[in-house]
Amino acid sequence: MRYRSQQVAYWYFAVAMLLFGLQIVFGLLSATKYLGPDPLLYVLPFDVTKVIHTNLLVVWVLTGFMGATYWMVPDESRTELYSVRLAYWQLALWAVMGVATIIGYLFRYGTGNKLLEQPLPSKLTVVVVMLMFLYNVGMTIRKAGRFTTSEGVLLIGLGMAAVLYLPALLEFENYTVAIFYRWWTIHLWVEGVWEMIQGGFLAYLLIRLSGADREVMEKWLYVIVGLVFIAGILGTAHHYYWVGVPHYWLPIGGFFSALEPVALIGMAMYAYGAIRRTGLAHPNTLALHWTIGSAVFTLFGAGVLGLAHTWPSVNKWTHGTLITAMHGHAAFFGAYAMIVMAMITYALPAMTPDRREEGSSLGYWAFWLQIGGMFGMTLSFATAGIGQVYLERILGLGYLDTQLKIQVHFLMLLATGGIFALGVGAFIWDFFRYRPRFEVIEESAVRAGAPAGAALTGASRIRAV
Amino acid sequence: MNKRQSRLFAVVSTALAAVAFLGMTVDSHRQFDALTNAKNITPAVAHGKDVWHKYNCVNCHTLFGEGAYYAPDLTKIAQHRGEAYLHAYMQDPSKFYDETRHRRLMPKQNLAENEITDLIAFLDWVSKVDNQGWPPRPILVTGASIPGTDLTTEQQATKAEQGGSQPPGARPVGSGQDPIALGQSLFRSVAPACAACHSVAPGVNMAGPSLAGVATRAQQHIGTPDYKGQAKDAAGYIRESIEHPSAYVVPGAMYSANGQSFMPATYAKELNSEQIDQLVAYLATLK
Ligand code: HEC
Ligand code: HEC
Ligand code: HEM
Ligand code: HEM
Ligand SMILES: [Fe+2]
Repeated sequence: MRYRSQQVAYWYFAVAMLLFGLQIVFGLLSATKYLGPDPLLYVLPFDVTKVIHTNLLVVWVLTGFMGATYWMVPDESRTELYSVRLAYWQLALWAVMGVATIIGYLFRYGTGNKLLEQPLPSKLTVVVVMLMFLYNVGMTIRKAGRFTTSEGVLLIGLGMAAVLYLPALLEFENYTVAIFYRWWTIHLWVEGVWEMIQGGFLAYLLIRLSGADREVMEKWLYVIVGLVFIAGILGTAHHYYWVGVPHYWLPIGGFFSALEPVALIGMAMYAYGAIRRTGLAHPNTLALHWTIGSAVFTLFGAGVLGLAHTWPSVNKWTHGTLITAMHGHAAFFGAYAMIVMAMITYALPAMTPDRREEGSSLGYWAFWLQIGGMFGMTLSFATAGIGQVYLERILGLGYLDTQLKIQVHFLMLLATGGIFALGVGAFIWDFFRYRPRFEVIEESAVRAGAPAGAALTGASRIRAV
Repeated sequence: MNKRQSRLFAVVSTALAAVAFLGMTVDSHRQFDALTNAKNITPAVAHGKDVWHKYNCVNCHTLFGEGAYYAPDLTKIAQHRGEAYLHAYMQDPSKFYDETRHRRLMPKQNLAENEITDLIAFLDWVSKVDNQGWPPRPILVTGASIPGTDLTTEQQATKAEQGGSQPPGARPVGSGQDPIALGQSLFRSVAPACAACHSVAPGVNMAGPSLAGVATRAQQHIGTPDYKGQAKDAAGYIRESIEHPSAYVVPGAMYSANGQSFMPATYAKELNSEQIDQLVAYLATLK
């Protein structure tokens, strides 16, 4: 740790970890209900466990993004944060909002709009938190008077994410129009600005973990961002096929969303190439696993499995089936869960100095159990989904009778979900088992090659440029 | 390419895509009203939408294919079920489905009467939105038989082993002018579709009873003292069932309430007499 104020990141990560654990509990609960009968039908029905599952996901990932940003910005701009106190207030407000919203869902206090279920007071709090966050980060950079491209891409991503949340505050009388704008938030987040955020973290990690040259890495980062938006913006239309909008969205959505994987291929090549060309320059190989893993799993979950059902003539049959859940899980995990865990794994040894820099064997177990478990869950959703599409959508069997015939895949889902949960448990345990100690390592020590001063590789390179 | 050029690429491509997207958004707004029949969004429909949100229906069901995958898609449900059925169902789903059989059940939602009415108005509006004809085939809530083959999946397996003959619905039908063939096709295509509630496979009871053997059963019913309707023969009974469903109701709490059948009573008005003749001709073959 080079800057004292970077320690706020630890507390963001800690909150994210707790919420992550809770998210998985509710995921497993939801999946159990697929098997049924449900003894909790009148206590905790599926709609409640599911809304909590997905909302916790969004909240913990955003908590992770904010923590990782508070870690990265001082490193990149070489300064302390503008206000540590503001950062803690922001975390407190955010955590209280998150927990209150989740408790509200238990009592069905929500707006019932998929993924944007937060009631208005929560939504307004989100906006306030976002403003506090962007102000704090913005002032930090202003104070420092320097900022890097990776940081810029990250910040524009975060700022746009806040802006794109605004349509979620509006109410529309026409359900079709409401759907139209729901995707401005959801799709343009996950297939637009969040990918910028992922790209910013990826560039930061790769520059520090590998010996890659910053100029080159940042040049390609721009290219990736360009590719994301060429395809991603018009790709929104792959959610517009069947909701009551003009017909021209079909070919537009098919064509541009089919181009979306190009940026993801670019990202995977970018990560792989950086290591391949310049080798490792940092002992934290566990963080490297998460970093490369994120780029590769995104290509699989978002790129390949997204492409699999994005063309209108395919989507016509698969729309709104377990095929969607297959893709949603693999994509979200690869792109956003994994990049947050990469940032955590990278930053953690500097904040918990008792930890070995290269990662513990428990840390590796966490990695491989999660990868294996999520891969298995993806296969389970996929096989269940293919069965569903064929029996229910193509042959015309009833929905309920089809679900009975694919029970075996739900058993698979629970088994592989259990493996995944073990991986999550290991990650969380590994996170908390070392006490945090926030020791600032002097620049000179950093230069002497102390491992926690990983910032060196990147920082010295800028100086050289 | 240097860094400045790659930045230019990022900015320009984003800007171009954004402009195209906004342009089409504006154009879509010009068309939304027509495509969604916005003039039919009455206060009841608008309130029905609020009820839909308030009770979190979207986190079990999908609507326009968006939502959760624990319960059936409801985009066209209002075209598959009549108002009476939906009303009674929303009051207590457990009367209609058995959790031990399908391993899932919709929990009772404790809706107020006007909430139910408005919800149905909303679902009716949804079912009429011009959404490129999705779903391409009707999505049914239940039904263990593959429509058109008229056997349950189990029966198909055993029949196939025995090399048995094809069931009536799977036999190739003759000329398009044949009233029986036309009736069979109407069975799937009228609104609400008969096939959404009735299977013609034996033992497959959906929202309505299986119609396998309905002609034989009809003959038996009209002789019994329970029967209060006007029909004199099987064809007459079937016709009466379509035109006046409540004249005689098949026993079962999931089929009727207070002597009022949940089968839509709209067919007498909305089908012409020729169409009803064809449906009767078809069903009379199910002996
Ligand atoms: C906890 C999950 C859950 C929630 C919440 C839920 N449903 Fe359902 N719904 C189901 C299931 C499961 C079925 C399948 C039939 C059954 O088991 O009752 C179903 C079936 C239906 C059907 C079709 C019934 C038929 O036979 O045609 C309608 C209509 C319906 N639901 C409407 C709604 C509405 C409106 C809401 C919100 C007020 C809602 N549901 C909330 C789970 C749910
Ligand atoms: C919303 C569901 C629904 C739809 C749609 C529907 N029915 Fe029915 N039908 C029922 C129910 C419920 C019953 C049993 C109650 C009764 O006897 O009215 C029934 C009963 C019948 C019976 C009497 C069966 C017997 O064994 O006595 C016939 C014949 C019939 N329907 C034909 C049709 C035809 C033809 C259509 C399409 C034009 C149709 N139904 C559409 C629900 C439906
Ligand atoms: C990181 C990137 C991505 C994430 C996190 C992600 C996540 C999701 C999620 C959660 C859904 C369900 C949304 C809902 O119904 O509310 C979804 C739907 C969808 N995604 Fe992605 N996605 C990503 C990238 C992609 C890409 C690159 C493609 C195409 C190549 C794609 C194609 C689709 C399609 C077609 C649907 C609609 C499915 C349906 O019709 O039901 N996604 N995605
Ligand atoms: C043990 C692990 C998990 C299990 C058993 C599980 C199970 C489920 C279930 C049953 C649903 C409801 C699908 C439906 O609507 O019917 C769901 C939704 C969802 N889950 Fe998970 N989940 C798990 C972990 C995760 C993780 C780690 C992520 C992301 C990183 C995730 C992201 C999502 C998303 C995005 C949805 C909404 C999908 C959609 O609507 O298409 N889940 N999950
Ligand atoms: Fe999308």
